[in-house]
Amino acid sequence: MKRTEPFEFYQPASLQEASRLLKENGPGGRFLAGGTDLVIAMKEKGLVPKYIVDLKRISGLSGIREQSDGSITIGALTTMREIETSPLITKKYSFLSQSAAEVGSIQIRNRATVGGNMANATPSADGAPALIVLNATAKIVGANGDRTVPLEEFFRGPGQTVMTSDEILIELTIPKTGPRLVGEYIKFSPREMMDLAYVGVAVAYNLGASDKKCEGVRIVLGAVAPTPLRAKRAEAALEGQTLTETLAEKVGQIAAEEAKPISDVRSSADYRRAMVGAMTKRALLNAAAGPAKSWVERRERRY
Amino acid sequence: MSELTAVGKPIQRVDAEEKITGQAVYGYDLVLPDMLYGKTLFSPKAHARIKRINTEKAKAYPGVVAVVTAEDAPWTHGETVKDKPFLAQGKVRCIGEPVAAVAAEDEDTAEAAVKLIEVEYEDLPVYTDPEEACKPGCVEIHEDFGKYRKADFIVKGAAPNVAEHFKLRTGDVDIGFKQSDVIVEERYFVPIIQHAAMEPHSAHAQFDKESGRLTIWVANDAPFRALHEITEALGMPKEKIRFINPLQGGGFGSKGGLKVEPIAVALAFHTNGRPVRVKFNREETFISTLTRHEAVVYSKTGVKKDGTLMARAMTIYWGAGAYAEKSPTVCIRGSLPAPGPYRIPHVKVDGYAVYTNKPVAGSYRGYGIPQGAWAGEQQMDEIAKRLGMDPIAIRMKNMFVEGDISYWGEQLHAVGLKETLVKATEAIDWGKPTKTAKPGVKIGKGFACIQKPTRSPTTSAAGVLVNAKGEVTVLAGTVEIGQGCNTILSQVAAEELKVPLERVHMHQLDTDVIPFDASTTSSRSTYHMGNAVRRASIHAREQIMEAAGPMLEAKVQDLGYADGKVFLKDQPQQALPIGEVVRRKLGIHGKVRGDGSYTYEIGKDLDLETGHSDHASAFYMYATQAAEVEVDEESGRVRVLRMSAAHDVGKAINPLNCVAQIEGGVVMGIGSALHEELVIDNTGKVRNPSFLDYHLVTSLDTPELIPIVVECPEPEGPYGAKGLGEPGLAPTPAAIGNAVTDAVGVRVYDLPLKPENVYWAIRKKKKDAA
Repeated sequence: MKRTEPFEFYQPASLQEASRLLKENGPGGRFLAGGTDLVIAMKEKGLVPKYIVDLKRISGLSGIREQSDGSITIGALTTMREIETSPLITKKYSFLSQSAAEVGSIQIRNRATVGGNMANATPSADGAPALIVLNATAKIVGANGDRTVPLEEFFRGPGQTVMTSDEILIELTIPKTGPRLVGEYIKFSPREMMDLAYVGVAVAYNLGASDKKCEGVRIVLGAVAPTPLRAKRAEAALEGQTLTETLAEKVGQIAAEEAKPISDVRSSADYRRAMVGAMTKRALLNAAAGPAKSWVERRERRY
Repeated sequence: MSELTAVGKPIQRVDAEEKITGQAVYGYDLVLPDMLYGKTLFSPKAHARIKRINTEKAKAYPGVVAVVTAEDAPWTHGETVKDKPFLAQGKVRCIGEPVAAVAAEDEDTAEAAVKLIEVEYEDLPVYTDPEEACKPGCVEIHEDFGKYRKADFIVKGAAPNVAEHFKLRTGDVDIGFKQSDVIVEERYFVPIIQHAAMEPHSAHAQFDKESGRLTIWVANDAPFRALHEITEALGMPKEKIRFINPLQGGGFGSKGGLKVEPIAVALAFHTNGRPVRVKFNREETFISTLTRHEAVVYSKTGVKKDGTLMARAMTIYWGAGAYAEKSPTVCIRGSLPAPGPYRIPHVKVDGYAVYTNKPVAGSYRGYGIPQGAWAGEQQMDEIAKRLGMDPIAIRMKNMFVEGDISYWGEQLHAVGLKETLVKATEAIDWGKPTKTAKPGVKIGKGFACIQKPTRSPTTSAAGVLVNAKGEVTVLAGTVEIGQGCNTILSQVAAEELKVPLERVHMHQLDTDVIPFDASTTSSRSTYHMGNAVRRASIHAREQIMEAAGPMLEAKVQDLGYADGKVFLKDQPQQALPIGEVVRRKLGIHGKVRGDGSYTYEIGKDLDLETGHSDHASAFYMYATQAAEVEVDEESGRVRVLRMSAAHDVGKAINPLNCVAQIEGGVVMGIGSALHEELVIDNTGKVRNPSFLDYHLVTSLDTPELIPIVVECPEPEGPYGAKGLGEPGLAPTPAAIGNAVTDAVGVRVYDLPLKPENVYWAIRKKKKDAA
């Protein structure tokens, strides 16, 4: 591994200080959180940031909290491992903790943060689809004030988000959900672990207690478009309907049509598209069946 | 023979603690005093003439000590064909070929300077398909092939770019096919894979002008062969070159021959006596060291209604990559047994090692056997299916047994194949119903059998020292590449000298001191070096007994030997520990040295027209592996549920180590079956030279493994032992392939069985059926 080129390194103690630094130094800077993407980019891919702002000295940017209005806030510096193991998340949204568990290895997840996973804007980021189906919003602070954007609108393309160079992602919020919400995230990749998603599918919907009708259906696809992609036609096809295997298959096919995959060294576009169909179907059916009780059971359900 | 005390025992590896605690120093870790850092400039072109190289800017860069190109190192090397320049001479033949190198005071300086070297190329046609590269009209990638120095047995093919054409001719296949009731014919493909040893490649070199001595520190798996190759290339006397082997962090065949060594040597002549280290990173290791041959295998098999094999014709194109390396011998030793461990009256095999503009291919654990088995063993299942026969029955009917004359003309002995077949299939409950799969998921079982020869004839020599404390030092040229040889050879010495294993020490490999050994390859070490260490130990023991005679006032024939002591047979309490004998004879600093060597002599050389030989191999390793798999029909994803592997090892010197070898082999084999593929586009560029997209299996991809040790003793082997290093992965892909077909009724002819490949095969079948 190469020694990095010299760079300016800042460790602000507050958001105000961080904002000031960003304003003074202008574009070309990078944030350091877990460093699992940034350090590799610098040491192996020749990235030379003009300066680096380490966010880890700023207090209050990590942790998972349930708010009085029933929403859940997740600080941008919360690690993927924390999301994976949080009793609160595991209980309410097991598919979200599962999506975090799909990232890299435990060692990586102990460092990698959810803010980094979002701000780095990799199309295959495992955390994004599950958060988007939960209608999560992103809180961004900047020199010109704070703003909150739906996570669905946060991504602009590979490595690109709506944030300007003087803005910082500080928090994600999952609004209160109904008691009947069910969901699932399936990461499809050839290897059991330590792999990138060839296709990622998150689904969530409210499952009617007696009529088993699906309402508020959200289906988000990862790794098959430049950004995480909502399959809106597929959602509409399920909305208000009772889920059956036949319907799940049909919804999957619509989602496959909506995907915009590319061919690369990992997979052909056609295969990715077909897998969107198969995995969407499974995700919808798995969600209705309730959360997997163990890792083994979860793995079995991917098949 | 008295009861065995050390051999046959499941002893924990002697190097386990050192390695697990991180104390072991590998070649890649080695730091020498006053060392310089080397960096290599690799070709970005797959096939091009070099019009001009300008090194002025790199030379002027502060901190740079030396910049070398072919002008400074006008040498070539190669194990069987001397076709590979130390640094590219006039043209480049693959992306990743070393073109120039820099030695500097630190790594960053070397890296910065190497980027300042300017090279102007003129493109030539690029060949990336071995079948295409030998078509009439193709440009010769090695236009001077005829002028190269090469081994006597090389048979240049008539077609362009064929570095070796191996022929096996037995009976008359035309007659055989005429007499057959069923004929199956198919094309199979095995892609390029890479060894992916944990430790990437590196080499250190130092040239001392005054003494004229060149020292090379490298974790090479065959230091004596490397020494010979360097000697031949440089025209230096052998005595002036010394190889020192630090520990090797895995090699699997990739660390033989010369890889980084020529670059380090080229630089070392220009550093005023300072040692220079050249390290490859992972990407460089992927593109510029060695790969396993891609192979296109056409296989045609004819059989009688009752399942009797009549004829088998195979044509195999081995993609050699840019240089011959070990391709000629992989072509020979991979093509010869490719028809499988069966009695077949009419056999015809044509193996072609074809140059392409891809990274160099060479030895990889298994040495051509997995490619042949992928075709041959799947075809056996196809035939069985066509005949309505059980896959076990058809193999049982035809498989080699004790005393058979093989289709290459050798009488076989110590054939433990049948037992491996029975045990491996039993272990996965062959023939019994499988557990019910979920909807859309199919379960299937399959197995495959292989035979594997070893490199023959070869020699191993060893020395054994016994000091005045009764401690034993073994001088053996076998390289501890992670396979456990230090444990095995220590056990052999401990056995013959009847001392506890803790008293045996393996000396570091240094060609100045250590007796000759051919190589740590081809699963040959336990057999050859085991015999040599055994003989050297016996030689030491005999000298000790000789010396003890006068001390105990007895004749040698009246002396006994046990428990590290010489004693009087009729008065066993009158005993002298061996250390005491050495002390009395030679003083407290004395050492008794025993020497021993072993050479397997072959009879007639391989006949170049027929491929026949009455002793093609010192011994043959036989194995059967059986797999149970689950196939998700919707995604094409294959999961191996359990895998048994029964291997005829002759005699397990260390059963624990045998199990570890088998398990390691199977896991590697599963990777090559399901995931591994070095993707190279038609410009010759490797698209996935990193562990992100070159998928090795993880522990979670590893199924329940059932290793089975079968012991069919080899009379010439030490205590009956054969070898085991390579076969562990050889039948694995074919066994899994057969299981996949059993599950979903579709055969996938191209490896790997990655989800996408299996998916499209299932889809095609469904379409065809509709």
